[in-house]
Amino acid sequence: MLLTVTGLTVVYDRAMIINDLSMKVDAGELVSLVGPNGAGKSTTLRAITGLVAWEKEVLRKTTGGDVTLKGAVVFDGERIENVPAHKIVKKGLIHCPERRRPFRELTVLENLMAGAYLLKDKTEIQSNLEKVYRLFPVLHSRAGQVSGTLSGGEQQMLAIGRSLMFRPRLLCIDEPSTGLAPIMRSEVFNKIEEIRGLGITVLLIEQEVSTVFKMASRNYVLSSGKIIAEGPGADLLADEVIRKTYLGL
Amino acid sequence: MIQDIIINGLINGSIYALLAIGFSLIFGVARLVNIAHTAFYMACAYLIHVGFSYWGLSMPLAIVLSIGLTTIIGLICYRLFIKPIREYEAAVLIATIALGMVFQEVMLIAFKGHMMGVPPVATGFVIVGGVKVANQHLLVLGVAVLTLLATWFLLMKTRVGLAIRCTAQDSEIANLMGMNVDREIMIAVIVSVVLAGVAGAIVVPLRVIDPHMWLPPLIMMLAVVVLGGLGSVKGSFVASYILGFTEAAVAIGVPMGSFLKGSVALSIMIIVLLIRPEGLFGIAFEEER
Ligand SMILES: Nc1ncnc2c1ncn2[C@@H]1O[C@H](COP(=O)(O)OP(=O)(O)O)[C@@H](O)[C@H]1O
Ligand SMILES: [Mg+2]
Repeated sequence: MLLTVTGLTVVYDRAMIINDLSMKVDAGELVSLVGPNGAGKSTTLRAITGLVAWEKEVLRKTTGGDVTLKGAVVFDGERIENVPAHKIVKKGLIHCPERRRPFRELTVLENLMAGAYLLKDKTEIQSNLEKVYRLFPVLHSRAGQVSGTLSGGEQQMLAIGRSLMFRPRLLCIDEPSTGLAPIMRSEVFNKIEEIRGLGITVLLIEQEVSTVFKMASRNYVLSSGKIIAEGPGADLLADEVIRKTYLGL
Repeated sequence: MIQDIIINGLINGSIYALLAIGFSLIFGVARLVNIAHTAFYMACAYLIHVGFSYWGLSMPLAIVLSIGLTTIIGLICYRLFIKPIREYEAAVLIATIALGMVFQEVMLIAFKGHMMGVPPVATGFVIVGGVKVANQHLLVLGVAVLTLLATWFLLMKTRVGLAIRCTAQDSEIANLMGMNVDREIMIAVIVSVVLAGVAGAIVVPLRVIDPHMWLPPLIMMLAVVVLGGLGSVKGSFVASYILGFTEAAVAIGVPMGSFLKGSVALSIMIIVLLIRPEGLFGIAFEEER
């Protein structure tokens, strides 16, 4: 297994946001984590990639807010739940954040270079840059543009491109299609298929179940911080209760 | 007279730019309002004086050592007093005010409030376009411009600079790029204090040194930062020269008017803010960083 999460629990003050969650991603898979708004999808990802632990430190010092984080996260055979976020990246566990979050005042090229921050070898940076440009030609033509002025779809391409600049082994993408026009959505999903074709394992977080179920080999359905169903899309859709209650289809 | 205004405006502006850019940098990266910033400028000026007048070091050596020592003092102050309370904005503000006053009192005790000066490094003058310009002024301007260029290069063209700018914009995402936010803040503190030290080195031969010398530039620096737009390095740069020239023009151009220079400069700031509350290059603050 590339990623194994066991008994993950996140409590903000007294609100239990993630409740004893376990999930696995095997190398080469495209796995999805779906669920309605507020289900806890982003929090799950943030816990895996070290951002909840980081937030916990900051909150403890500022508002005295209390965050409880429990459970085991194993990536490529190593326990990472106590590794700081900036070191988790080094292992190739890459987090492409919700709402894209480009460095808005930086140019497209500077954003991509930020993604390659951990690389020191110029030729490797250059070859990764060329790969990203091949995947997203629009980023090449917009290289000098300030990223805050890009359209939503272009910002999503940039966010994904930035995530590909440093040796990704497991790429976790949080709601890439949200807020995009339908044409842009299918374009983004096509690119994710292409990325998987490059041999990169993908954990895809989405609300748009219909498309995602066709792409993913397995899916986890999250509701109120609990995994309530798991399996291939066809199986989940065949289950009347899951389909009506949790997927709203 | 025009030549004097130009030279003095350039020098004032450069000193403010050195100070304000350092201040903006720490504010941008760590949201720290460092009122003690100009106290480091004063500390460096005093150290140069001690090195040169008391210990008999050569001027360049005294300057380099003093900037290094000031930077170490700055880092120690940051680790001991600021880092533990970094997330509490009000506490940081109060702590840095206190720190500035401690510096002032230490200088008062150590040097009894005497006004002191250091002789210029360069003597004589050159004729530029038919105008006499003191070599010392040229030297000061050259050092200031080179330092500003080096800072620009560091921030815009190097890997470290990119990490500093990313941290300033969105520290959470900087984390996800593998940048160590704590380390980037430390680097920003170092750059900031070095810039304050260089500003101190520049004024040493031009002005008298006294324990209150950190206050007038503090006020002007804050005015520059607000005028340029809080957190904008480019804004700080432009605003520095606007206020630097205004000061020089009033001090030289208005007969007996040099006491007015501060108020005219601050009035310009207020007028600009009435029209553009976010400052010249200010960005409306975004919730997420
Ligand atoms: N920093 C936080 N402090 C308190 N509650 C939070 C925090 N972050 C998220 N939550 C809460 O956790 C729940 C899950 O949020 P999230 O993980 O963003 O859901 P999703 O990504 O599935 O939409 C929401 O009810 C949200 O209000
Ligand atoms: Mg979310």
